[in-house]
Amino acid sequence: MDITVNHVTHTYQPGTPFMRMALNDVSVAFPSGSFTSIIGHTGSGKSTLAQHLNGLLLPSTGSITAGDLTLEGGSKRKKKKINFKALREKVGYVFQYPEHQLFEETLLKDVAFGPINFGVPQDEAGRRAKACLELVHIPSAFWERSPFDLSGGQMRRVAIAGVLAVQPEVIILDEPTAGLDPRGRKEIMDLFDQLHRQQKRTIIMVTHNMSDAALYSDQVVVMNHGSLIMAGSPAEVFSRDEALQRIGLESPETMQFIRRLAEKIGTPQPTLSAFTMEDTADAVLKLLKGDAAHV
Amino acid sequence: MPNIIDVSDLSYRYQEAGSRVLDHVTLSVKQGEWLAIIGHNGSGKSTLAKCLNGLIQPEQGNVVVSGYNTKDESAIWKIRRRVGMVFQNPDNQFVGATVRDDVAFGMENHGVAREEMLQRLDEALKLVKMEAYADQEPHRLSGGQKQRVALAGIVALQPLIVILDEATSMLDPEGRRDVLETMKLLNKQRGLTVLSITHDLDEAVHADRLIVMNEGKVIRQGTPAEIFQHAELLEEIGLDLPFAVKMERLLRQRGLEMTERPLTQEGLVNALWTLRSTM
Repeated sequence: MDITVNHVTHTYQPGTPFMRMALNDVSVAFPSGSFTSIIGHTGSGKSTLAQHLNGLLLPSTGSITAGDLTLEGGSKRKKKKINFKALREKVGYVFQYPEHQLFEETLLKDVAFGPINFGVPQDEAGRRAKACLELVHIPSAFWERSPFDLSGGQMRRVAIAGVLAVQPEVIILDEPTAGLDPRGRKEIMDLFDQLHRQQKRTIIMVTHNMSDAALYSDQVVVMNHGSLIMAGSPAEVFSRDEALQRIGLESPETMQFIRRLAEKIGTPQPTLSAFTMEDTADAVLKLLKGDAAHV
Repeated sequence: MPNIIDVSDLSYRYQEAGSRVLDHVTLSVKQGEWLAIIGHNGSGKSTLAKCLNGLIQPEQGNVVVSGYNTKDESAIWKIRRRVGMVFQNPDNQFVGATVRDDVAFGMENHGVAREEMLQRLDEALKLVKMEAYADQEPHRLSGGQKQRVALAGIVALQPLIVILDEATSMLDPEGRRDVLETMKLLNKQRGLTVLSITHDLDEAVHADRLIVMNEGKVIRQGTPAEIFQHAELLEEIGLDLPFAVKMERLLRQRGLEMTERPLTQEGLVNALWTLRSTM
């Protein structure tokens, strides 16, 4: 399912002294099956943009098209006519700290709650719950236990399973790895990478982690003060180091390292992009040797 | 330097039938040092922190803070005034309507006289570079600013030690850097002892000393250089390694032999530069 954002502006608390333009004429497309990362400073509008994509927020002006549904802004909007339920069944949203929303007596009940809510029969919801708990690597020994007996990382995975059990075509992630340890972070990112590659789900991730944005995305969208200021492949976006620095963002550590090394040994800044550690090590060798050949 | 915290043979479990979250932990914190405790989620780090200011009482063993045992109920408030804590979520620790009120709250609670309080308030806000925000509402600040205000509230109580319990893990890179710079300043210039519980290994390499915890036990103690020499052990227990350590290893596998094992990007860049001049 393609999602297209057309000239969307969002104003918080219009007509009050606290009025603030959180999105300013944003246009961007999230093609079906793509993995997009939205990056930007705290308060740049990244989460506001994400919340528009399944109708949690509606545009003040502009419109959003998600599959065959259109969310119009402003006076054109007839709120009652929007089928939010159909939209949210297709566009799942994993909030920041989703584990805070766990509430059921057992893991299975908690994960099955979403599909049941969308009218999936009990036994089918139960089957989906089991499949999704397996997908997020929660051993079956835990399934009949309370979610509150789990560790933070496990609770996060159960909450994600709850969104996956609805079988959304598009999954929006708001800082999915915040507060997790490195192992937990890697498990969660591997899971979404797998959902993207193997099941062709569309993933839209709001993140502060530039390495994750570089490693997993097809498209990186950069937000600043409510405006979209760059969109492109990770290689395109992270080659514009100075532009990113001006808005308080950094390139992934791998790129920072290559640039620092090039500067120190006095060669021109390399145009290559390397986001994995292996590619970076190879790039370092090239930098050192390439330079040595000139001497 | 004398020890300001001594933990000896400390064990704890949350439920009687459960397994030990802390398992015979012995360690000490020296006055003025920056000590980082690393370990993955569930390794017992945060439980240990709660033992250090008496939020949790040991099931076995002792925790002594500047001469007071946390088991001594009459000393518990003396201990808590000496041990300041900054937690993970900056939004969970605000009570004041303005930054100034919030920083004053702790001092009011401890009965600091008004004149003294005003003086400490200004000084604390200046230290964390938040004096321009004194009359702002805390919830309008960025994450890094919030954590700095939380730090000011603690510094104003003139503690001996500040415990950061994953205090930077919810912040963006800039917020993280801000808080760390502030902590470094407090540690180096004011001699405040810092105990940082963290996942951020690029932060941990700046500590004077590291303690590695796994399954409730202290499994390694040493300087960052000593600890990161055993990269395999850290990876075995599910910890990440600092960027420079991982990169140095990959470069070694590709035939680059450096004489040292740098822990920071800067160190590695310098080592490669030196190596290149001999190539």
